[in-house]
Amino acid sequence: MVFLTLSHWIRSRGPDRWWRVQEVLKHARHFRGRKNRCFRLAVRAVQRAFVYATKGRQKKRRVMRKLWISRIAAGTREHGMKYPILISNLVKTGVQVNRRVLCDLAITEPRSFQSLVALAKARREEGLRAALGDGKEPPGVFSRIVQSH
Amino acid sequence: MSSFTKSAQQWATFARSWYLIDARMQPPGKIATMCSVRLQGKHKPIYHATSDCGDHVVVMNTRHIAFSGNKWEQKVYSSHTGYPGGFKQVTAAQLHQKDPKAIVKLAIYGMLPRNLLRRTMMQRLHLFPDDDLPEDILCNLAEELPQPRKIPRKLSEYTQEERDAFPMIWVPPEDFRMK
Repeated sequence: MVFLTLSHWIRSRGPDRWWRVQEVLKHARHFRGRKNRCFRLAVRAVQRAFVYATKGRQKKRRVMRKLWISRIAAGTREHGMKYPILISNLVKTGVQVNRRVLCDLAITEPRSFQSLVALAKARREEGLRAALGDGKEPPGVFSRIVQSH
Repeated sequence: MSSFTKSAQQWATFARSWYLIDARMQPPGKIATMCSVRLQGKHKPIYHATSDCGDHVVVMNTRHIAFSGNKWEQKVYSSHTGYPGGFKQVTAAQLHQKDPKAIVKLAIYGMLPRNLLRRTMMQRLHLFPDDDLPEDILCNLAEELPQPRKIPRKLSEYTQEERDAFPMIWVPPEDFRMK
């Protein structure tokens, strides 16, 4: 052959452009319009989508907690008590059940939830007796602080 | 509970029930909060905004509603017809005269969340000015809710013994002349 150095004259600018473009387009395949096909439009849409996803993960934590609280409040009102009283008295008794589990108990384990509400009611009554009473009554059972260390 | 009857439990949990509220001598705002809570389904531990878990609420005796204070004369309901010069302001007494259900309806409408489900929830609310309810609604009622306000007794409802037993703050002397 004559031109033995032909292969040396071919300069490859970047052999992996297709894969770099696909990395972005694969996140845009379910979008509407030309954003799911054309790279220039897809890049902007994918960037916004990632930002929304990050903010959504933070908002999800807030939204879920709000939902748990409203569900627990509905459950406690069924038993004749209110949510802030339940939470403050459970904290005072040292029950460290979080709102997610309380909500699940209120839905699927109604008797356990009822017993937690009764516990909070008893602790509340003891607290009121201690505050309003003369101190001559015997101290309450639920308001006794147990050291666990 | 065995695992193959969970469908019956689920049907019972998500069923839509009918509540009855008697609004005689009650403040319309308190009636409205109770109604709006049950129309949204917020009284259930399975509540979610999108899961359509609200119940039906029937309010009777809306004609005999009792505002506190001077609200019958002072509370103003405003609206605009859309035409120029069409701003209308009506007092609560005038509105109640024209339509005895309107006050409770507007109170509940304002307490529901401002989304597209509000109109659906208002369709599940049934208002009656007096206590004669139609047959088909009477058949559906499941529970009557307790009234939010304790109705005070009139003087004519006290017996003579109770009136005599009531303590007197000041006893007039024998030669005291009442005007």
